[in-house]
Amino acid sequence: MTSISKRKEESHLVNGGVKQSTWSKAFSSNAVWEEKDEFLDVIYWLRQIIAIILGVIWGVAPLKGFLGIAIFCIINAGVLYVYFSSFQQIDEEEYGGTWELTKEGFMTSFALFLVGLVMSIKMYKLLKYNKN
Amino acid sequence: MQSLLDTVAAEISSDSGKGITWVLVYRTEKYKRLKAEVEKQSKKLEKKKETITESAGRQQKKKIERQEEKLKNNNRDLSMVRMKSMFAIGFCFTALMGMFNSIFDGRVVAKLPFVPLSYIQGLSHRNLLGEDYTDCSFIFLYILCTMSIRQNIQKMLGLAPSRAATKQAGGFLGPPPQAAKFS
Repeated sequence: MTSISKRKEESHLVNGGVKQSTWSKAFSSNAVWEEKDEFLDVIYWLRQIIAIILGVIWGVAPLKGFLGIAIFCIINAGVLYVYFSSFQQIDEEEYGGTWELTKEGFMTSFALFLVGLVMSIKMYKLLKYNKN
Repeated sequence: MQSLLDTVAAEISSDSGKGITWVLVYRTEKYKRLKAEVEKQSKKLEKKKETITESAGRQQKKKIERQEEKLKNNNRDLSMVRMKSMFAIGFCFTALMGMFNSIFDGRVVAKLPFVPLSYIQGLSHRNLLGEDYTDCSFIFLYILCTMSIRQNIQKMLGLAPSRAATKQAGGFLGPPPQAAKFS
């Protein structure tokens, strides 16, 4: 096995795990992505992280109803769009277009957002109740 | 809060099904070999379909059809290997769901910060009394946990199928994305 292919293996686990060197590429501007799946996994996991963070914040902030959900969707899609188009400057056509990149992991992140939101609301009420 | 934690714990404990799958199936050499073969063939087929043009020769198209057939056979073999674990998971799931339904029947496990759409209310307000549709039932939260926590655990542990394999498998259920090029 050549050293290049060995490095490829080391940087990217099969089927979704993301290793250290992949994360360092993820936070460097204009990184080179040899494997499409590697970049898609980064998009997926960034989306999950955003979902958890927003879920917790939305639980504390008074953002209720479908407005809160709509704002989550816009922020989730918007932040990742800025990430892959401006920060990483990738060619969207290589990945099947902007829509493919936008929907990568979206439903899972939405479910995670709702779970985080429900837990966060409950925790916040509990802490408020205990304080009083 | 207890109900909420119980629901999440129920979801995590039902992942014991995945643990059984790992012991019975995922550890075996036959499964690993078949999975690697399916991944390799899916990626190869996807690359070939991307480079094929409208004016591609008959031989090229026949080659791709042969590869698709080979991939279909390997997918079928992989499904057969998984069948053992599917029965075990099905049994676990049925037993666990019966137990959790009796524990959480009529209990509000959480409050939603929004009123779900009418066709989702049947699920989110299942077996709950009253007209307050922000009350969340166990089954709705369980489904959300399955969609989020379980999916992410599978992906983290490398148990989820690759995108290429999912795309090709989806093609066998419906028209494949490149079908139009061969008509």
